[in-house]
Amino acid sequence: MSGEAVNDVRSPANGRTAASVPVLKTELLTVRFGGLAALSKVNFEVKRDEVCAIIGPNGAGKSTFFNCLTGVLKPTSGRILFDGEDITGLPSNTISQKGIARSYQITNIMPNASALENVRIAAQSRRHAWNMISHHSAFPNINERAEAALRSVGLLDKADQLAANLSHGEQRNLEIGIALATEPTLLCLDEPTAGMSTAETHDTLQLVRRIAKNLTILIVEHDMQVVMELCHRITVLHYGEILADGTPEEIQRNSKVQEVYLKT
Amino acid sequence: MTTGPLSKSMPLTTKLSHTAVFWIGFCVVMAVLIVAPLVLPEYWRRFLTEILIWGLLAMSSDILIGYTGMVSFGHSAFFGLGMYGAAAALLIVSPPNLWLAILFGLGGAAGAALFVAYFSTRLRDIYFAITTLIFSQIFYVIIFTWTEVTGGENGLIFSRPHFTIPFLYDTRFSTATLHWFVLAVVAGSYVLLRRIMQSPFGMVLQSIRENEARTRAIGYPVERYKIVAVMLSGLFAGLAGVLYAVQNQFAAAEFVFFTTSGDTVIFNVMGGIGTLVGPIVGAGFFQLIRELLSRIFGDQFPYLIPLGVIFIVMIIFLPQGLLGFARRWLNR
Repeated sequence: MSGEAVNDVRSPANGRTAASVPVLKTELLTVRFGGLAALSKVNFEVKRDEVCAIIGPNGAGKSTFFNCLTGVLKPTSGRILFDGEDITGLPSNTISQKGIARSYQITNIMPNASALENVRIAAQSRRHAWNMISHHSAFPNINERAEAALRSVGLLDKADQLAANLSHGEQRNLEIGIALATEPTLLCLDEPTAGMSTAETHDTLQLVRRIAKNLTILIVEHDMQVVMELCHRITVLHYGEILADGTPEEIQRNSKVQEVYLKT
Repeated sequence: MTTGPLSKSMPLTTKLSHTAVFWIGFCVVMAVLIVAPLVLPEYWRRFLTEILIWGLLAMSSDILIGYTGMVSFGHSAFFGLGMYGAAAALLIVSPPNLWLAILFGLGGAAGAALFVAYFSTRLRDIYFAITTLIFSQIFYVIIFTWTEVTGGENGLIFSRPHFTIPFLYDTRFSTATLHWFVLAVVAGSYVLLRRIMQSPFGMVLQSIRENEARTRAIGYPVERYKIVAVMLSGLFAGLAGVLYAVQNQFAAAEFVFFTTSGDTVIFNVMGGIGTLVGPIVGAGFFQLIRELLSRIFGDQFPYLIPLGVIFIVMIIFLPQGLLGFARRWLNR
């Protein structure tokens, strides 16, 4: 359909990350659903401590890309490297154990458990997971980890509330808290502000900025404005191909991106 | 145990009182069940023991239905293998040994559970239920037709083992002492299973029930947990089978038939899934009503019809079962 894929300006060095080891790298990543190429030959990189975003109009392949990274989908071809290790096609539990965590576009929590139980089960996945003898609340290190995750998403005072009784914005943040509790090195956020009010969006962006201090973060976002001030680097996907890649300023100036976003 | 602000919202006193209330309740029920055979007539003594055994079977399947969110129709197979395993031990070894019967029964049930678990845990929901049902029917057909070994239609008859503590103690079971023995096994199983369901492992099972995809996404190998859950469940179902064999001194193919699994599911739904004690209460309720109906209307009365009506009424007005209201409290 649309024209040829052009890998626009790959900005050198990106400032602050001197080491610039790619935490995540995809090589010619391709996913086909029948005849439709949801992703075709995507080469993409996230460097350590970077905050990157993938944006694009609906149907650009953003969620497909995420599903590949987190083992929900197996790519048709291409490779995914995490810390230099090939993780292509591994099941999502293994990928989680290696250090990639994700939050979901559609809230995906355990509604009948309390907020604390939601994050504790995530924290517990790294230690004592097969213990059958002790009470689940008897592990100080798990409790601390769970509390830290709740604290960083601002839900510590709601720890004992059922997740189902939290507001939409709080559930979205709990979603991030669950991901954080697994102590990831790379956190993937799938439209973290979807369905939020302006005030909630603002709070969540603050939250992401806070946790970004010691994490590498990859955000998928539909709304360009949300990621502009947050990210070091933005990649634009369009019909499964990379349309442009660069700093927020470069992306804003890019004529192809403007065209795509104005059209939709 | 918890640190920081959490201990404020969950003070130690309420935690203690909850535990205290729970164990006081537990002791009261135990006391009633311990005294019961001393006051009940012979028939009702045996009846009560049998309820406990069915309760253990129902409780074992609650691990899957109530905690892991997998409805199993294969429990007749685990129960039956426990029964025939005990029968094998009691018929081969002379004099019949109780502990050997338990060991053989658990072994048989574990074998069946491993087989069923390996294949059926790849599937979910109704597909899991159907697969377990098919496997249990396979076991039924094998047991029903392999007459030389299993006695086929006639089943196996054997004598009841003594209660022995090796080198120390050896006595015949009376209906009362057998009741106490069964009570000890069932109560011990309850305490153990409750602890396992509250453990980190148990929390993973409940997490699978609540949200399987998310549980996998936060790093749990869901299939492995399911296999262990089915094995655990099968072991305790097998234990119930052993107790039934010891109590009734026979093993029959009809218990491996899938209607046993159906009854087990009904006990769970009636009593309240996800509570462990609920299924025991459900089993007692079901058996009592059946007994009352046949007492009032005679043995030939099609008791399943009014029981079915009662079941439907319960589903409508008491969808969580008799003890469902206490679910969160019991699991704390």
